[in-house]
Amino acid sequence: MAFINLNNVTYKYPLTKTPALQNINLQVNEGEFVAIVGPNGAGKSTLCYTLAGFVPHFFKGEISGTVEVAGIDSSKSTLDKWVLNVGLAFQNPFNQISGAKYTVFEEIAFGLENTGVPRDEMKPRVEEAMKLTDISNLADRSPYSLSGGQQQRVALTSILVMRPKLLVLDEPTSQMDPIGTREVFGVIRKMAEGGMTVVMVEHKMEWIANFADRVVALKDGQVLMEGKPNEVLTSELLVENGFGVSRYTSTAREAKKQGLWKKEKLPVTLDEAVEGFKK
Amino acid sequence: MHERLSFFVKRDSALHPLNPLTKIVLALGIILVSIFSPWYWTSHVLLLVVIVPLVFIGKVATEYFTSALRLILPAAGFIFFMQAFFQPIGQTVIFNFWFLDITQESLLFAFRIATRITVMISAFTLFLLTTHPSELMSDLTRRGLPPQFAYVIISTLQILPQMQAKAQTIIAAQRSRGLDTESTFFKRIGSVVPLVSPLVFGSLVEVEERAIAIEARGFTSKKAKTSLYEISDRSSDKFIRWGLVIFVIISIVLKLWLS
Ligand SMILES: Nc1ncnc2c1ncn2[C@@H]1O[C@H](COP(=O)(O)OP(=O)(O)OP(=O)(O)O)[C@@H](O)[C@H]1O
Ligand SMILES: [Mg+2]
Repeated sequence: MAFINLNNVTYKYPLTKTPALQNINLQVNEGEFVAIVGPNGAGKSTLCYTLAGFVPHFFKGEISGTVEVAGIDSSKSTLDKWVLNVGLAFQNPFNQISGAKYTVFEEIAFGLENTGVPRDEMKPRVEEAMKLTDISNLADRSPYSLSGGQQQRVALTSILVMRPKLLVLDEPTSQMDPIGTREVFGVIRKMAEGGMTVVMVEHKMEWIANFADRVVALKDGQVLMEGKPNEVLTSELLVENGFGVSRYTSTAREAKKQGLWKKEKLPVTLDEAVEGFKK
Repeated sequence: MHERLSFFVKRDSALHPLNPLTKIVLALGIILVSIFSPWYWTSHVLLLVVIVPLVFIGKVATEYFTSALRLILPAAGFIFFMQAFFQPIGQTVIFNFWFLDITQESLLFAFRIATRITVMISAFTLFLLTTHPSELMSDLTRRGLPPQFAYVIISTLQILPQMQAKAQTIIAAQRSRGLDTESTFFKRIGSVVPLVSPLVFGSLVEVEERAIAIEARGFTSKKAKTSLYEISDRSSDKFIRWGLVIFVIISIVLKLWLS
């Protein structure tokens, strides 16, 4: 059985008329790295909250269908237990700083303190996590004194250190430069290879194509399409539905109209584009 | 940038490893004794014989005397002049200015009050300089303070400077759109209104996100919390605490007995 199992999930925020998620069916295997794409308001964040238990335990509203992670039904669990299995990091790093800690090291240890990890285990775990995301040099800084990209790394590390089975990331690299983005994608890929299941909302198509196993395209709260990154990200359907596409894809698509792109498949990444234009 | 959001300075001193509660009790004890003791010179003696040596023992002299110059001295000076001029006590006029008389009694009274204020602020400053805020919170939580309560206190202390910085940003942004924040009083009152909503509503969304973020990190977990720092509470800590309680009781008893 799949590690994540969403069965006909429909969800409406309180006081709203149209559902933010409609009849979502999604299965994800353990250790799989799935990317979610979609235009603004598509329901990507809502899907993240649903996986992380905040829908419906925090946001209330009406939900139907079933949400299962690691064989546990979300509606039968409580949020404080759910977060032990599922980690969530989201876009705005400033609001993810606990505000209760004075250094990055303490900030990362916050989740371990809350969940009762013994002290002698805590320090090595924090150090290891900081090494993984390459922020060991920030250990003694105040989290508030960091740049947006550094804060996003801290937010990610604060979740990784808790060793969740499922990692849910909502645009975790939005404030990072290309080098930072690549590094973080590398770390996440590594976690997935180590058996962690990853669901990540991301707009940077090239990186998705390079690192993710599968892409799910959301629109108006529904799954429009899903499949291999290259298949989904080069599909006409996305263009018709107003999704952003990689610049290499749009360039090659134009080139194809002029007869300059000979291959059947369109590229998403730079490498694929170079490869295709060579022929 | 706000690299230092707390007063705490890390030093290797005899004061730093004391239990945080001991340091609170020490500060409060000094403050209470200085308020209640009936002896005129109590505050002066406390300042010279207790606080100043503690400042050196705690190795925070530079920081303490900086804040003494910038904060404590002006506050104490202001109170001294207010009390000296406007305290209608005593007959022995030693100085006269327009309709104000300064009497020997009012001067003595002002000196006592100003020193008391100095002692109070100093004791508290000493506590802040030598106590790590996170350790304080962990220790108080361990002693039964609800973690939510501890969180509210400590995060407010940290977030206030952030709010202030944000208010400045919003003011700058609104002003660049033609908002008048610098002319007459009434115009300025009127122009504060548009600043309020981004600050408050911005904060509401932030509060929701922050609640999600700390929840995601197990804040409401039912498991017994642990702490990154080992917080020592030795028998000497208990000894100091009880000693201070006794001093405070003696001061109160003396005060009641003599009046
Ligand atoms: N707290 C809320 N209360 C009511 N409605 C909400 C709430 N949060 C989101 N919505 C609505 O739910 C729908 C999906 O929003 P969601 O935030 O999931 O979109 P998204 O795909 O993450 O968009 P973006 O790319 O802008 O982050 C939108 O129509 C939005 O207005
Ligand atoms: Mg979103």
